[in-house]
Amino acid sequence: MADPSWSKHMADVLRRNEIRLFATVPDYIVSHVLEHLWADPGCRVVTTCREEEGLGLLSGAFLAGERGALLMQNSGLGNCVNTLGSLNVASQIPVVLVISHRGDLAEFNPAQVPVGQATERILDALDIRHIMPRSIADLETQADGLIKLAYTRALPVAFILPAELTGGKIG
Amino acid sequence: MNRATATRLLAERLRNEVVVSNLGQATLDLQRHGDRPLNCYTFGAMGQCSSIGLGIALARPDVRVICLDGDGSLLMNLGSLCTIATTAPANYALVIWDNEVHMTTGGQPTATAFRSSFVGLARGAGIEKVLEPRDETELRRAYDRLLTEDGPFVVNVKVEKGRAEGKLDRDVIGYTRRFMTALAALPRAAAAG
Repeated sequence: MADPSWSKHMADVLRRNEIRLFATVPDYIVSHVLEHLWADPGCRVVTTCREEEGLGLLSGAFLAGERGALLMQNSGLGNCVNTLGSLNVASQIPVVLVISHRGDLAEFNPAQVPVGQATERILDALDIRHIMPRSIADLETQADGLIKLAYTRALPVAFILPAELTGGKIG
Repeated sequence: MNRATATRLLAERLRNEVVVSNLGQATLDLQRHGDRPLNCYTFGAMGQCSSIGLGIALARPDVRVICLDGDGSLLMNLGSLCTIATTAPANYALVIWDNEVHMTTGGQPTATAFRSSFVGLARGAGIEKVLEPRDETELRRAYDRLLTEDGPFVVNVKVEKGRAEGKLDRDVIGYTRRFMTALAALPRAAAAG
């Protein structure tokens, strides 16, 4: 049984690393994180029409001195592939990706499975460092280091949030 | 109207504004007719020019941001018009060089060559200040407005088909770093407008 406080831990990890601007196309799982960010007057959340658009927006904000994170489902990662490569990696613009992992353990929707299974390989193909924390302790151990690496390396990094951490979506 | 002339007319009015240019023709014209450190050239991520500019405008509300997009590129990211309308930054303007073709790839017609109009799309998205200058006099007036009034603005400029002159300088990381440094050096003032 997943501990429901995972979402606050995820929101706190982002906020304590000086991320105050967020873009999202919400899904059921990341919406639990978004609730904490929406409730925080120090944070700004922009809901975009497509995940790739959020990536462009956060990249511009980084060029203007502001850190950003994009919260989305792994289907959204599929929508972002070219911009991640030809903007973020090519121009060395870091961004933190927070990706809910559908299409893996206990998935009920066949349409989610192909991109779900490809998620890590998509990130690997673009040389984007990622972690998949399976518990809150695991998240807390790796999170600050992952975000620090993004800005040291000037490249995107990704949190993949598996069902073991979040409880997934029950169909 | 000629895109290079329209670019030059904007460049000669600029002071501390940020200009974000779309990959290909818009970036080449801007490099050639108005290169400056506060230009944010893009070289990839087709469709993202308006979104990159929006992020800059949200992070630096004290600086005016002008995006120079192309019709083929903006058609890839029409949702951006809705996000511009929803976030509505006063310091933001989106200028579209609408030549009704994919010029970089050989002049294949886009949807604006047929029935689609960015003026209608932008208004439908909820943007109030939508301009459609039809000659140089009207274009100068449009620039005067977007450089002084609160936005957001969308300005659709029908331009002649034709490739930009010269050769694109693709120092992608170098130009990106130059831009970041120049913008960071610009003192934070009260919000623009």
